[in-house]
Amino acid sequence: MLPSLGSLLCLWALRLLAPTAGTGAASRGPDVASYRERVRAMFYHAYEHYLESAFPYDELRPLTCDGQDTWGSFSLTLIDALDTLLILGNVSEFQRVVNVLQEGVDFDIDVNASVFETNIRVVGGLLSAHLLSKKAGIEVEVGWPCSGPLLRMAEEAARKLLPAFQTPTGMPYGTVNLLHGVNPGETPVTCTAGIGTFIVEFATLSHLTGDPVFEDVARKALKALWKNRSDIGLVGNHIDVITAKWVAQDAGIGAGVDSYFEYLVKGAILLQDKELMSMFLEYNKAIKNYTKFDDWYLWVQMYKGTVSMPVFQSLEAYWPGLQSLIGDVDNAMRTFLNYYTVWKQFGGLPEFYNIPQGYTVDKREGYPLRPELIESAMYLYRATRDPMLLELGRDAVESIEKISKVDCGFATIKDLRDHRLDNRMESFFLAETVKYLYLLFDPDNFIHNDGSVFDVVITPYGECVLNAGGYVFNTEAHPIDPAALHCCRKRKEEQWEVEDLMREFYSLKKNKKFTLKRAPDHSEGESAKDPEDAPSEKGGEKRNAKKNSHSLLSCPSQSFNSKLAVLGQVFLDNT
Amino acid sequence: MARRPELLCGAAIVLGCAFLVALKVTCRVLLPKVQVLKEDEAREEIQRNHSSCRAKDVTMPAKLPVNFFSTRSPVIDLFRGQLDYADHLRQDSEIVLYFFYAPWCGQSIAAREEVEHVAGRLSDQVLFVAVNCWWNQGKCRKQKHFFYFPVIHLYHRSFGPIEYKGPMSAVYIEKFVRRVMTPLLYISSRSKLLDFLSNYEPGVLGYFEFNASPQPPGYLTFFTSALHSLKKDYLGTVRFGVITDKRVAEEISLVRSGSVYLHRHVNTSLIYPNDIMNYTAENICKWALENREMLIRWLRPHGGKSLLLNNELKKGPALLIFIPYNPLAEIHPLLDEITKVALEYHSCNKSQPAEPDLQHFRDTGSPAFDSSVPDAHMKLAETFSITKYPCCNTVVLPQWHSISRTHNVCELCINQTLGVKPNKVHVPQCNFLEIEAALDSFYLQEHTFFQVISNTIECSNFLSFYSPFSYYTACCRTVNRHFLSFVSSEKTIFQTPKAAFSSHGKKDNMQYSVPHIEDRNCFTPDLHASGTNITGLSCRTNKTLNLYLLDSNLFWIYAERLGASRSTHLKEFVTIVDLKEEVHYVLDQNQSLVGSTLENFIKNFSILYSPLKRHLVDDPSVHFDEQRVITEVTTNTFHDTVFLSEKNVLLLYYAQWCGFCASLNHVFIQLARLLPPDNFTVARIDITQNDLPWEFMTDRLPTILFFPHQRKEQSVKFPEDFSVNLPNLLKFILHHSSLSSSEPCTKECLHKETVLQQGHISHLEGEIQKLRSEISALHQAHDQLEAQLSEARREEQRLQQQKHTLEKQHKTLQLHSEQLQATYDQKNQELLEMAEKLQELADASENLLKENTLLRILVASREGKLQSKDEVKKSLQLEQPLAEDNDVSVLTATAPLEEKKIDNIDAIETEHSSRNRTE
Repeated sequence: MLPSLGSLLCLWALRLLAPTAGTGAASRGPDVASYRERVRAMFYHAYEHYLESAFPYDELRPLTCDGQDTWGSFSLTLIDALDTLLILGNVSEFQRVVNVLQEGVDFDIDVNASVFETNIRVVGGLLSAHLLSKKAGIEVEVGWPCSGPLLRMAEEAARKLLPAFQTPTGMPYGTVNLLHGVNPGETPVTCTAGIGTFIVEFATLSHLTGDPVFEDVARKALKALWKNRSDIGLVGNHIDVITAKWVAQDAGIGAGVDSYFEYLVKGAILLQDKELMSMFLEYNKAIKNYTKFDDWYLWVQMYKGTVSMPVFQSLEAYWPGLQSLIGDVDNAMRTFLNYYTVWKQFGGLPEFYNIPQGYTVDKREGYPLRPELIESAMYLYRATRDPMLLELGRDAVESIEKISKVDCGFATIKDLRDHRLDNRMESFFLAETVKYLYLLFDPDNFIHNDGSVFDVVITPYGECVLNAGGYVFNTEAHPIDPAALHCCRKRKEEQWEVEDLMREFYSLKKNKKFTLKRAPDHSEGESAKDPEDAPSEKGGEKRNAKKNSHSLLSCPSQSFNSKLAVLGQVFLDNT
Repeated sequence: MARRPELLCGAAIVLGCAFLVALKVTCRVLLPKVQVLKEDEAREEIQRNHSSCRAKDVTMPAKLPVNFFSTRSPVIDLFRGQLDYADHLRQDSEIVLYFFYAPWCGQSIAAREEVEHVAGRLSDQVLFVAVNCWWNQGKCRKQKHFFYFPVIHLYHRSFGPIEYKGPMSAVYIEKFVRRVMTPLLYISSRSKLLDFLSNYEPGVLGYFEFNASPQPPGYLTFFTSALHSLKKDYLGTVRFGVITDKRVAEEISLVRSGSVYLHRHVNTSLIYPNDIMNYTAENICKWALENREMLIRWLRPHGGKSLLLNNELKKGPALLIFIPYNPLAEIHPLLDEITKVALEYHSCNKSQPAEPDLQHFRDTGSPAFDSSVPDAHMKLAETFSITKYPCCNTVVLPQWHSISRTHNVCELCINQTLGVKPNKVHVPQCNFLEIEAALDSFYLQEHTFFQVISNTIECSNFLSFYSPFSYYTACCRTVNRHFLSFVSSEKTIFQTPKAAFSSHGKKDNMQYSVPHIEDRNCFTPDLHASGTNITGLSCRTNKTLNLYLLDSNLFWIYAERLGASRSTHLKEFVTIVDLKEEVHYVLDQNQSLVGSTLENFIKNFSILYSPLKRHLVDDPSVHFDEQRVITEVTTNTFHDTVFLSEKNVLLLYYAQWCGFCASLNHVFIQLARLLPPDNFTVARIDITQNDLPWEFMTDRLPTILFFPHQRKEQSVKFPEDFSVNLPNLLKFILHHSSLSSSEPCTKECLHKETVLQQGHISHLEGEIQKLRSEISALHQAHDQLEAQLSEARREEQRLQQQKHTLEKQHKTLQLHSEQLQATYDQKNQELLEMAEKLQELADASENLLKENTLLRILVASREGKLQSKDEVKKSLQLEQPLAEDNDVSVLTATAPLEEKKIDNIDAIETEHSSRNRTE
């Protein structure tokens, strides 16, 4: 009698508990480990079919199971996917591909290539692979990270782009012939992003190789854009690089401009550069003033600030991630939640989404499996650990698998209204979309290192701390280790200074007084620059900067209510 | 034919532009505008559009829809979106649940299981229909336009759709479906009525006489209004009941059939005003929702962007109670206890009950309910009176303008435990005179409290001037101004002469500048000592709490972020959140959550000098690790690591998400490796995960603070306008740690010196090690170079060899060419000779020609002579043929030459002739 009663009670308790345990769908969030494995399977499905059917072409055509050259003839997908391999932990394949690339890729070809795309995909991809190659177990040269075969390839590719920068304004042409330089009849109209998206790769190259020309041209182009901003502080979409006249005057944060803003912030982080940051903060103010409506960002006329297109573009979805990097997590989350509703409506983000109508825009209904929203989710998850962000990851995996998976890979969605597919798989799918998804579901990945582990490398230039986290992703999701920039061009004076100071630590009698001098402030390679080039051209701005007591290179700490700002809850400012 | 699609394509692009671009733009601007995509991408896309038009445009239509639910599932799956068939099905069943989904949607997939679970339990009473509302060939997609998936619609017969907006979890869905099935509760007896009314959720009751007809007038409207309320109030917090018995109805003074009653616990209950508002379902529902009482509310964030918490918490401090909740459970003992507390807290007019009927009813109907309260009171009274000082009062110090804007408040207690006071052993009430005396002596001592303005409570004892048997304890602390405004509103019963203090205070805040004792009848000591009672506290305190419930099965993450322990399996958590003050307090999780602990928690919050301490959330995942170069500090280890350690501490405030912090990791690692570990700690704290007391908080990240050894309180901040690099950091540390060693050298100092030097030695050794490895690296590089060099040399050698052979070849070639030249010269010579000979021949022939002509002339003249001498002819004929023969042979030999150089000869001839002429 007793045992049966016990089991009955037990059953009753189970019945009571069972639904409770099964309900936590909202609180538990998606199962991270299983989704991580699904992302991994997605990667290999696409990658293996690329190798099988498309290599050495640039891209896979998933519907016809063949390849095509799109941006040049660099085996682009392979270069782009290289560091994703390592992030997924596949060391052996990484090593194999590095060898393949060293033998197979040639930049002495008569091809008209986009300066922008070649930089972010090829130069960026090779640089990050170079910096990660030791981690991948490749036997590196003694001079690494300041020399190496991949670095030489990256440098070669970047040198091919330099002729484009020889314009009166310093702003580059959009297209360059890799063999002959700029074609005689080349259009001088370049988009803003095509001008301002070099500093991350080019400054890294300059710091690693010691040749300042790359960083110099990138900075010059950035400054030219800054000089040509409108009176209300906005930049347009396209500019004539010869005459510096704006050809398309729509100002916004999306297509044509996006990575310019991104690189101002990332350049500032990578180089600890206040000048770049102050530029961004000025733009940010203008963007908030003129384009932001109800946490959406619209397109406005750059001189008048009147709304020209009330659309949200798929490419704009990087913005919340960028905001989280500089500590504006509240606003980032609010905007992200807006964008997420669009995803929920279609199972992807249409290139253009008309906000007042709540529907796609004609001829812009496609979704080429872009990464931007997932990228923002990854950054925000790092900041908030909000399970809702994992839900976006879950939705992305389900959508992409259900809608775009075909026998030979993953096909671009041509029309989000009916989910018709197109015969293309862009290289950013493997470089970015899959990478960010994986990182979202893998919080312990080495990319998320918070500085608790690091490597020490002995180079002929001295000891060097590497892989201490803080990786800066270029706009094609290629991670750059900021510590590597301090390995190669290490000035001897600084080392000696450190030595001297260390001696002081061990003497009991402190005979010197140490005060911080102003001078070191400008030692970040900007002291040589003409002061007129500085962003604070007017005296008034300079004073403003002084008044602003906090350093530009810092984030605000999060407010109290951020503790509760998860699962879709947002808080208004304390006003 | 081939051109047509291309044309169409171009036209489409232009159309696309025209749609996007404002009207007044000229065509030239239009084209670049197309490239609003990443420029080159746009360019490429246009190319692609063209080329894809030219080549066959390979696209693929979306895959055909397949079953979303398994075929064995109790849910009918209309995966082709047959909405018409769904409507048809609805006619067969009283209650229908529609589940509109999109097959690609993650949320639909997650909710599928839950719906299936509910369907398994209710399939005999409810029809479950799932409709694919995405497939663009389906009816559903064509008729409905959803912005999100899944969408759940419920129908009660013809009434609907009622959208379910609650959590996508089986129990909640089931509960809601059950509410739709039976929107009204039938109350036939007093005990059922009691049950209904004692519930914490608002209740609406209708009284209908069923004797006259099976459907009394107004009943249907009431029924519909119950369904209607579920549309608005998707959590179903307003319950609807119907009373069928006249006597039961009289209990709540309803006499007329058809009247509707809204029950409220604290405020007066209402009867639906038929005369003012029309008796419609919408109106009843609206009336109930507007007038319902919200003593305690469930918070259920739906997951989308929402200001729910913002709006609720902005109202003031909030008590958040997290409990695991199963909506299907019959009884909720914990919830009942909490609601009892909430009711107590809100019932301000208990002494003069607003609802005598109910009060009476309660007293008689449920004696157990009522008696439990005084019981609790008694118990609490005992525990509190023992621990507390018997006689205390509160003194507000005048606001010295010289000090600061904050006020100093002291709690003054007469303590009789020292010595024996003969006449009074137990003091139930404070003697007014005693307080006065204590106050006097307190004022005389007040200078001792000038320095105590800090956030900590400081207490000091001093002896009474009047009585040797007692002493006074004064505990002073700083309180914010708004507490004082509260203070000032209380009745002051004691005032010292103003003249004594008026000189200190400004005129305008005179009231504050006068120290006074608060009315103790209504104040802290009393409440604390005998404070068993939170009845009506919400009306008596300025710090009114709003009470909220959260289901910890769904929203435990909020609790975790407010500091709930992650390890406990019991998901109960209580916290008070004050958004305005940016603080929150937490009820110790080790205490079990019962009514009394909750009451104490509320009381402790409400009293003026709340003993509650701001809760600091810390990151439990960080473990102290000796091996780490940089010490990771948390809230718990902050004090130990920074203040108690014997070292200089450099503390970095960071957050993982802040880009500017993460890119400095390597600098701090280098610094930590350089600094002597015996004297320096490089530490960091992630302040997103770890709260610190206000005075140690910072508003920017990264922030670097230096706490010098022995002067930990004098921390210094690394100046923000300097770039964070190794030399700057070292200088900063040196600058601020240099003051420490000015005292004369003693033995200890010598010891220190040796320790330091040993450190130095080890540092130098480390340096040497580093240099060695650097050297080895250089060696390696050297070797590598050497190898490269030797290879280069080998290469050079090889090249030289090649050169050598090439030279050889070159020589032979030269020889060859010389030979050739020689033969060429020879041939040339020969040719020249030949030419000369020919010339000679030509000359000879010329001479011969000349001779010939001469001969001819001679012949002619001879012939003339012969003709003249006919007779002589015959005699001469013998000699003539001989000469002629000679001439002809010469002519035939020169003939080919003559033909070859006919021009020459012509020239020669003419020359000859001219020479002849001149001759």
